[in-house]
Parts: sequence; structure tokens; C-alpha cells
Amino acid sequence: MNRKFCLARLLADGRLHSGERLAHELGVTRAAIAKQVKALNELGLSVHALPRAGYQLVHPIELLDAASIRESLSDMAAASLGRLEIFDELPSTNSHLVDAAPLKPGSFAVCLSEFQTAGRGRRGRVWLAPYASGLCLSFGWSFAEPPQPLSAITLAVGVAVLRCLAQFGITNVQLKWPNDLLHADKKLGGILCELKAEAAGPAFCVIGIGLNVRLPEDSQRAITAHGGLSPTDLATVGTVPSRNRLAGALINELMNTVLTFASQGFAPFFDEWSAADALRDRPVRLVSASTERFGVARGIDSLGYLRAELDGKIEQIASGDVSLRVPL
Amino acid sequence: MDIRKVKKLIELLEESGIGEIEIKEGEESVRISRQGNGAVTTYVQTTSAPTAAPAAAAPAAPSAPVISNEEAAATRAENTVTAPMVGTFYSAAAPGARAFAEIGTEVKVGQTLCIIEAMKMMNQIESDKAGKITAILVKNGDPVEFGQALFLVE
Repeated sequence: MNRKFCLARLLADGRLHSGERLAHELGVTRAAIAKQVKALNELGLSVHALPRAGYQLVHPIELLDAASIRESLSDMAAASLGRLEIFDELPSTNSHLVDAAPLKPGSFAVCLSEFQTAGRGRRGRVWLAPYASGLCLSFGWSFAEPPQPLSAITLAVGVAVLRCLAQFGITNVQLKWPNDLLHADKKLGGILCELKAEAAGPAFCVIGIGLNVRLPEDSQRAITAHGGLSPTDLATVGTVPSRNRLAGALINELMNTVLTFASQGFAPFFDEWSAADALRDRPVRLVSASTERFGVARGIDSLGYLRAELDGKIEQIASGDVSLRVPL
Repeated sequence: MDIRKVKKLIELLEESGIGEIEIKEGEESVRISRQGNGAVTTYVQTTSAPTAAPAAAAPAAPSAPVISNEEAAATRAENTVTAPMVGTFYSAAAPGARAFAEIGTEVKVGQTLCIIEAMKMMNQIESDKAGKITAILVKNGDPVEFGQALFLVE
């Protein structure tokens, strides 16, 4: 393992560790420790250096651990789990699964990473999440006979995340069509799905979820400066759950979701999605590559498409960017 | 369209910072786009139904194809790769990245040609044909309909 990640494990408890002690445990010089601390800071982990005392994390972190995640899995999820991989850093958990070996039918793969070097939001936008500050989880599943439109899985997964968060007492989360998780109009997380399908054949679907658990203030500022919605995190919204239990609960919900979606499509998720609709009856701006239009969001239809009122008419919107329009 | 005019357009594009330019003249249109690597590719298209062009170009309808080539698609279905879903067409994996396929690209069955996005699901569209791409009938960022012709492969 890369030395900086060994150091992260030693510091994870949030206690004060002397440079000397850390150097001894990792078998390196104190200067090397200082260098690794700097490397961790560059990944967004807030490590305080206290002169003549040592190093300490601003907040303790619970690092991801396969055994702990497995403990949280339901019997059904545990039986269907084909692969569970956890990385300290990875270009993108979604890309990793899209490019991975095919799965046995009926089994799923999960990939998590503490840090993504090329984490993707929609259309190549960078997903800025410091090391161990949230969950970057991808879930791969093959639909033998995908229901249409399969893209509504993005919305069904939004409902899965709400159900998962409710288990941790976090109930005031809303969904912004099609893929954002909001709290008080701030972004708590997002969903990005990728699909590799053969014509009239099985569809391999990778569901990517990014969720902010505890986002340091400076990275919140950096994300806001990047444009788009201001971020928020579970620490602000409610409590900071165990990241491993959260990952396990999320996997359980995703397992239930893909099975329900495979047999019944989006319909069983419609009511819950609509109840959490953050945009309903609010003025919105719809942007595609060549056009920008203004209207009012009027909920979603039974297939998961956005209903937008534009010039007095309801249109069905399948793609593009939707943003809240703040009345002047 | 006069080839000298096309050449002039290419020079214009190369001198400017513009990524893509499309000129329509009666029944003919030419689109010249700069690819990620800085090279410029060109293709000329003859619209068989000139009356369809104004409707097709209307930006207000998100589902309207920007370039209509229905006749070509219908007569050469065996050479056409069509959209399996409604969504937005993307020629590359990310903005600024190299396009999956360009005019002249030799493609194999199963090779990714483009991405169609709907509801933030990025669908990698694979070619169900082998051959050389002779036309790309939609532009990066265009909305596409189910069954709409995307590529001609010969």
C-alpha cells in the first residue's frame, strides 16, 4: 500500500500522533512523514500539524473496510454479491466496473474508492470529493431483459438512496430531476449511471453514487467556486453515520431496487420520487447543447421523464440540464 | 457547393477559435468541425427534402432532429446505425475528448460509436455493423429520437 494511505490509517482515530511515533511505525524518517502528511492534505484530508506535538486529523474518519461492509449486508445481497472491491484511490469507480470482467447472471459487483482521481459527474464534470469525505460507490448489474426506458433507473436509484438514508434517521432529502440529491437546495450527492447494451440483448448497467458524508469547509468553498449547486453533507443535514454501515445499507437498497426495476420498471418508485421532487412547480432553466429555455417544472411522468411547462404547454423532457431559476 | 468555398471555410475555422461551423445553402449544407486533436474534418450533406430543413432546425423542439436525412436512412437501412433510445447524442466520452468515431473510421461490431444520455444515464452505443463510417448524421449535443439514423457505415 502506498505510504500515505498507511499513514491515513494510523491517523484515522483522530487522536494526536507524534511524528516520531508515526515515523517509527512506518519505518521512515520524520521528514518523510511530513511529506506524506502534505500528500494527504493534497487529497483533501485535513491533517493538522501541531509544532513539537505531532499530527492529528481535524475529524476522525472511519475508513472503508470490506469485512465491515459485508456485515451490514442482507442475506439476499450477501448471496448475490459477486465482487466487492475497495480502493484508496482510483480514476473512477464507474469506469472501473464498466471495464471490468462480465458478471455471472444474477450477481452484482460493487466498487468503492476513498478518492477518485477522475471522478465523473455528468458529461465529464469533476466530482470533487476529498479523501474519505463521502461515499463513492458503484454498483454493476446485468439486466437480462431491460425494461424501457432503462434510463429511469437513475430516478429509481434516487428513491433507493432516500430509503437508505431514512434508516439512519435522515428523512428531509429531496430529489432534483434527474440525478441530484438535495437538502435545502444544496447538493448532498448525485447519481450517474452508465450502460453497455447489446441490441435486444442483456444490458450491463453501472450505477454510480456520490454522497457527501463530511465535506471539509475549504472543499465546500472550492466546489461552490467551481459553479453549480452549493454542496452540503450528512454532517450538516443530520448525523454522520458509520461509512461502512451506510455503504452496506446502500448496497442492500440497490439490490432491492434493481430487482424491482427489472420486473416492474419505474412505476413502483413513482410515488416516492414525486413526494421528494425538489423542482415541482418551481421556475426552471432547461439547457441543452444548443438551446436555453425557461419554464416551470411540473413533476415527472410515469416513465420518469420530466414534465416541463414551456410557453403554456407541457413537454416531456428526456435529457439536458435543469437548474432552478431564482426569480429576479 | 464549390470546393474552393469549402477550403476557404476550413482556413477560416483553423484561424479562428471556433470548434464547429455549419453553412446551409439551399439544398446543401456543409459542416466543418475541429476534433479534439486539433485536426479539422469536413463533411458535406445534401438534404433531399429542402422543405424539411426549417422545421428540423427549429431549436425550440428538443426532440426534433437537427439534420434530417430520413430518405437516406430509409433507403439504406442496412448501413444505418440508429438510436436505440431518446436522449442527447454525444460523440465523445467527455467534452474535449477524442470522438469515438469520425468520418472514415473503420469500425467493428461492438465498437462504441457514441453515447446517448437520458436522465443522466450514459448509454454507450455500440456498432451493430462493421465497416467504414461514411456519414455522421447528428451533431454533438443534439437531441435524438428513438430509431433516428445516427451513422452510415459502408
